[in-house]
Amino acid sequence: MDRPTLDEILEAVGEFLEREVLPGIQDPRLRFQTLVALNALAIARREVALGPALREEDHRELRDLLGMAGDREDLLRALAQRIRDGEAPSGTQAFLKAHVRRKLLLASPRYLERYP
Amino acid sequence: MKEALEKALAELYGPGEIQGLRRVPGGASKEAWVLDYRSGDGVHPLFLRRAGGGVIYEGMLSLEAEFRLLSLVHAEGVKVPRPLLYLPDLEGREAFLMERLEGETIGARVVRRPEFAAARARLPQSMAAELARIHRIPLDKVAFLPEPGPGEPWQAAVSLAYRDLDGLGEPHPALEWALRWLREHPPRSRPPVLVHGDFRIGNLMVDQEGLVAVLDWEFAHIGDPREDLAWPLVRAWRFGEDGKRLGGIGEAESFLEAYNALTGGDVSLEELFWWEVLGNVRWGLGALKQARRHLSGVERSVELAILGRLAAEMEYEVLALLEKSGG
Repeated sequence: MDRPTLDEILEAVGEFLEREVLPGIQDPRLRFQTLVALNALAIARREVALGPALREEDHRELRDLLGMAGDREDLLRALAQRIRDGEAPSGTQAFLKAHVRRKLLLASPRYLERYP
Repeated sequence: MKEALEKALAELYGPGEIQGLRRVPGGASKEAWVLDYRSGDGVHPLFLRRAGGGVIYEGMLSLEAEFRLLSLVHAEGVKVPRPLLYLPDLEGREAFLMERLEGETIGARVVRRPEFAAARARLPQSMAAELARIHRIPLDKVAFLPEPGPGEPWQAAVSLAYRDLDGLGEPHPALEWALRWLREHPPRSRPPVLVHGDFRIGNLMVDQEGLVAVLDWEFAHIGDPREDLAWPLVRAWRFGEDGKRLGGIGEAESFLEAYNALTGGDVSLEELFWWEVLGNVRWGLGALKQARRHLSGVERSVELAILGRLAAEMEYEVLALLEKSGG
């Protein structure tokens, strides 16, 4: 499709909110909600940039951990069930750490810096 | 609504008029209003809670029960706004009036702003003192609260977490991992007490001198005292001051020592670990449930929506806690 690309559109909306809308907002609640919206756009931009590779990495590690094929969501469900049944495969804890880290690289990368 | 309120207030304070009635942000399922009532004996600053249209969470008290509880704990000397009047039908919904206190309730400000430095130094002791007061209220006085379910409080808490998790329609293996650990390491039994249920920075009103009041009693129940002691330790309630385990304002040790001294108890920091893990699981599930309020259309809000992604923070914390414990 034509430019702007998805990322460029998200960037443009973010810049508009940050530079033109935010400075004029006095109401603290609305200000906070606008900052949350900016954060949401930042997550969306990281989804565009990093999402596919992180999902692929997650999928590959899940297949290795469980020793089975299937789409990522189904494998995650299978892992959840095995943990609940007390039959977690060895390596589960390490996988989970990497799995949640990947989610945070999209949702809240600065949070990871809080774990030195 | 003003007219109906004025009628009720006239009985309380004599004839007068309501000034500055306005709605303020007040939580998911209840409305909050501030108002002043000017009568013969002066101006009364007031705060009104009124039922809203939203979803009531499982385990949440009705306004009537919350009013009864506030009246009781106020009489027992717990720092709370004085409850004044229960209104079973304020234009179709139940409501209650209480006095309006002045102070800061926004957690990030309490934790960070320099003007609260002296208050922060006093908070561990006063938080312990309030919990000690709450936990020693005889249970026969709170018989109007919902009966606790069968089994130990920890079992009920874990079952509720599983129900919440299964209601999401999305797999969360990190939370499964934590719940499995919780089931495999049950805490030893402690006699049940009145539990506040949401005792943390953010639900405490603070001024420059220190603790003004303990707010938000809607999750009060009969349960395990360690639930209240561990909840303010959950990392999300440290508002970025990660080094200070007690709500970003102090040390867990001095808080727990003060509590034990006041109650004659012997709760150890190690015992709180189980409840801290549970607390993280619960707030993670809480965030995921909030996102579903948006996704299902109950309450459209970008703030609620994004909590569905931020729940991963609590998952990461739970994994870090279990890793540290050799889980």
